[in-house]
Amino acid sequence: MSAVAPAAPLPAAPKPGPVVGPGGELPVVTNDVTFVEIETLRSREFLPAAKEALSAMLKEQGESKLIRPVFNWAGRNSLFPLHWGLACCAIEFAAAFGARWDAERFGVVPRSSPRQCDLLIVNGTVTWKVAHKLIALYEQMPEPKWVIAMGNCATGGGPFRTAYSVVPGVDKLVPVDVYIAGCPPRPEALLDGILRLEALIRERGE
Amino acid sequence: MESNPEDIRAQLTAAGAVGVLAVEPFDGAAARVKFAPESAAALFQVFRDALGFTHLSTVGGIDWVTRYEVFYLLWSDATKRYVILSADLDAKTPHIETASPTWPSANWHEREAWELVGIHFDHHPDLRHLLMPDGYQFHPLQRAFKLHEPEELEVKVRHV
Ligand code: SF4
Repeated sequence: MSAVAPAAPLPAAPKPGPVVGPGGELPVVTNDVTFVEIETLRSREFLPAAKEALSAMLKEQGESKLIRPVFNWAGRNSLFPLHWGLACCAIEFAAAFGARWDAERFGVVPRSSPRQCDLLIVNGTVTWKVAHKLIALYEQMPEPKWVIAMGNCATGGGPFRTAYSVVPGVDKLVPVDVYIAGCPPRPEALLDGILRLEALIRERGE
Repeated sequence: MESNPEDIRAQLTAAGAVGVLAVEPFDGAAARVKFAPESAAALFQVFRDALGFTHLSTVGGIDWVTRYEVFYLLWSDATKRYVILSADLDAKTPHIETASPTWPSANWHEREAWELVGIHFDHHPDLRHLLMPDGYQFHPLQRAFKLHEPEELEVKVRHV
């Protein structure tokens, strides 16, 4: 019987620096560096560090300057997509929120009412018949809101592009922030898209 | 009770049905009954009341270029057999009497056959679009329908 190897010590928490998501390095906005540091921490260290950073910034910059970045930071880390499945891509959407891929660790929680959502993930074929409902759902969502076109169908009509009933790309109906290719995209690709959207929100500073 | 074309033909004669053009054998069904579209309404009643075909499974249409065909798939709970009714329609203005007073399930099936194939069902209670948005201008399962460039179709659908 071989000896049981001693458990390796836990690696130290990563040093603050550029955050590398699955899709590559995320852009860092300089005045936002405190939050980038916070995001690299582990959950146990998170709350004290956040509290410290916030009170430091509050002292330094005053309330009005702080509100916007705080809302941006909080919003992009708790994107609530609409729980809406359109076609086969919705299966991958569901898998991404299941135990194996666990999208909720990024703060992404599907909600069943558009009024509680700030992210519309269009996960499937959009027909002209459902187009009006999609626009109605989008318009019920409170600002600020974002749209991810998931899969080839939502991006450009996919295999049904020339069909008589299919909208060739959901960007004909609502503004799209992130496109995810694939038929269907794997759950990893959806997570990558969500992280890219988070980077986009940070970049825009909305 | 086994049911075959001869049975169907005998039952139709006994019920005094008019407008039957042919009763042919058909794989998987008791028979295929070709009928003249003018006698549709009376014939539907005969099939439901005298022959016991109480359930209408589907209504469909086919564009054969020189003519249209409309077909009805009926099911009998008593004999556990299907029968197919089929009528040839004029290629210019394909129309036939609705079956919805006889079988309420015909309502949606006829809406679908109308919007996809372009067969008009006279006296239909609610002939609206079913699968396409309101105001859609095409009957996409007609042979004359050309696949559109996406942009072209979008414009046409949007401007109604
Ligand atoms: S992109 Fe492919 S998997 Fe996704 S909805 Fe379209 S056909 Fe289905």
